[in-house]
Amino acid sequence: MILEPIYITGAGVVSAIGIGKAETLASLQDNRSGIRFIRYLKSTHTDLPVGEVQLSNDEMAERLGLGDSQSYTRTSLIGKLALKEALHDAHLDGQSLDEVHFISGTTVGGMERREQVHAQESNCGQEIAEIATYNCASCTEMIAEGLGDFASMATLSTACSSATNAIITGANMLRCGLADIVVVGGAECLSLFHLNGFNALMILDHEPCRPFDRDRAGLNLGEGAAYLVMETAASVQQRGLKPKFVLSGYANKCDAFHQTASSPEGEGAYLAMTAALETAGLRPEDIQYINAHGTGTPNNDESEGKAIIRLFGEHYPPVSSTKSFTGHTTSASGSIEAVFCLLALEHQFLPKNINWKTPMEQGILPVTGQVAHPRIQHVLSNAFGFGGNDSSLIFSKVNE
Amino acid sequence: MGKVYIQAAEQISIQTPLSEEWMEQPIVYHEPFVKAVNPAFREYIAPNEARRMGNIMKRAIVTSLKVLKETGINHPDAIITGTSIGSLNYTEKFLDDLVENGEESLSPTYFMQTTHNTVSSTISIFTATHSYNTTYSHGGISFELALKDAWMQLNLGQISNALVGGHDEMVESYYELLRKTGYVGVEGMVPCGECAMSMMLNKQVSPDNLCELAGVSIFRMKSVQNIRKQLEALVEKANIKVETIQMVMTGVNGNPENDRLYQPVLDELFPQAEHLQYKQLFGENYTVSALGLYAAAHLMKKQGMPVMLFVNCTTTGDCALILLKGI
Repeated sequence: MILEPIYITGAGVVSAIGIGKAETLASLQDNRSGIRFIRYLKSTHTDLPVGEVQLSNDEMAERLGLGDSQSYTRTSLIGKLALKEALHDAHLDGQSLDEVHFISGTTVGGMERREQVHAQESNCGQEIAEIATYNCASCTEMIAEGLGDFASMATLSTACSSATNAIITGANMLRCGLADIVVVGGAECLSLFHLNGFNALMILDHEPCRPFDRDRAGLNLGEGAAYLVMETAASVQQRGLKPKFVLSGYANKCDAFHQTASSPEGEGAYLAMTAALETAGLRPEDIQYINAHGTGTPNNDESEGKAIIRLFGEHYPPVSSTKSFTGHTTSASGSIEAVFCLLALEHQFLPKNINWKTPMEQGILPVTGQVAHPRIQHVLSNAFGFGGNDSSLIFSKVNE
Repeated sequence: MGKVYIQAAEQISIQTPLSEEWMEQPIVYHEPFVKAVNPAFREYIAPNEARRMGNIMKRAIVTSLKVLKETGINHPDAIITGTSIGSLNYTEKFLDDLVENGEESLSPTYFMQTTHNTVSSTISIFTATHSYNTTYSHGGISFELALKDAWMQLNLGQISNALVGGHDEMVESYYELLRKTGYVGVEGMVPCGECAMSMMLNKQVSPDNLCELAGVSIFRMKSVQNIRKQLEALVEKANIKVETIQMVMTGVNGNPENDRLYQPVLDELFPQAEHLQYKQLFGENYTVSALGLYAAAHLMKKQGMPVMLFVNCTTTGDCALILLKGI
């Protein structure tokens, strides 16, 4: 069966390493990490390194031309910045989005705002009750508000693979003929809720994270958002666009092992990468770069590394985890790293795995310096979530 | 393409669990908030495993296992869940703990099960199923989004069956908050309930199927003209005419803020059709439309109905239309 191409015609990204694609590219190419001690989140864990977006809520509201930041969640402000850039990039700003569908991933949604009112909830009135019951859908709606009158909205919530699964749902909508244009991705800000949850699980590194290093000691949490605009060939032609990228493969599989740990052999990861290659009609040797999930936890990096070696063999393509730049941006990581992959394709460079020093036993040797590489045509991006929700995407360059 | 069928569907709700007794002997409630009637979980889940799970998980596992047993499918090609508030009880407990005791010495036990995908992934772990697994969390259309995902993949030929569920639990403190927002607990409306529903979608033709799932459409309501446009597109793809729809099931619940959303559909699009309601039986909660579709499928089968349109409108502006055909 010949599948219709899924074109990517726009992208926007916000993370600890930059607001927008230009800043992000510069940080990636100059090896500038965004991991710092906590500054914006009001936490007592001031000794924990995190990847915060380097703007206050007020500064984001100002950039967005919104009067008062108080009525917005931090997730929605970050999300709006990314969505705005993606729409602009795809020449959709100021256009009617009546036929465009918006699919976003998030998990903690409005939790960061609820934390502030939780102590008053037992005796509260309607206003606080509304903030307290703000859910994942409210998050997506708040991001879209004022930016587009979308045909439909949807929210995926599969923990750290949420944005990747939003991309997959959008791809299926295009393939099914249920949409011509979809805007897909995810957004998540830091919250006390998940920072402390991860801390209680004892998987936070107290130093900048070191994915795939023998001495890695956990992840750093990050925050951010990214959206892609994807459309059908007919839509691209009708709008007179010349897209540079396609989503050539995608797959979602389940590790079915444990709620918060990956199987030792990375079964879910292996199945997801294998199926993504199949849908793309590609062989392992066709991939020139893997943007790993690579959280920096002992468990993930061992399991993912085994899955990569099992599928790609000892001569696996260059691999890096850009979480060493951004921290683990949880629900948003899939789309943020998708944009990093597009930047790698467009500018023909391999993002590095910074902070790496010592090889793991039988583990992945990530990209750490300038390495000679062939023309980058196809890249694979992994995102794995709690519960073993493992998904992989393959992005390819459109040949002119 | 081929047709998609609802092969089996099971529920745990404020009605008698795992049965269709609601058809003959519905339980009637007068309280504003009612917890679900739990079945004997130990018949399905070992007590040591059940102890670690919240109600939402136990109910989801039981409804799923019952559907898997009925259909003889051990490992479905997809497990897709809709849940708006997920593991609410554990989320509230972790949050209370955080606010009351500060950021030190928290236990991860509750946190581990707070992500919305815990339901879908627990089913996959419980059934050792490695296939497609995802979760939608979008308020009152969470279940319909899960259903549409399955429907798309069945039509694309990526899968041949799918276990689709809608699950939400409720706790007293959160009910109180929702009451203050006017979502539940309004004078004259149905009680706030809890829902667990799992159904198997299958492409296989069988006289045992409950009904055909002929189409799903989800969109921002915007206007009655838009609803009409989406409805026409939906029925056209299913090869029927709007006039043949004689049966419409809605989420009317006695809350004026909710019920006014259905007026244009009922008055302008279907003035002649018979109007069925399910929330009188199952109460209100974000994914209660999963119980509505379950009820619709069983009624289609039992009463030999030819066509039914299932309509779910939310106060946040979303609309889902589901078209069912008799087999």
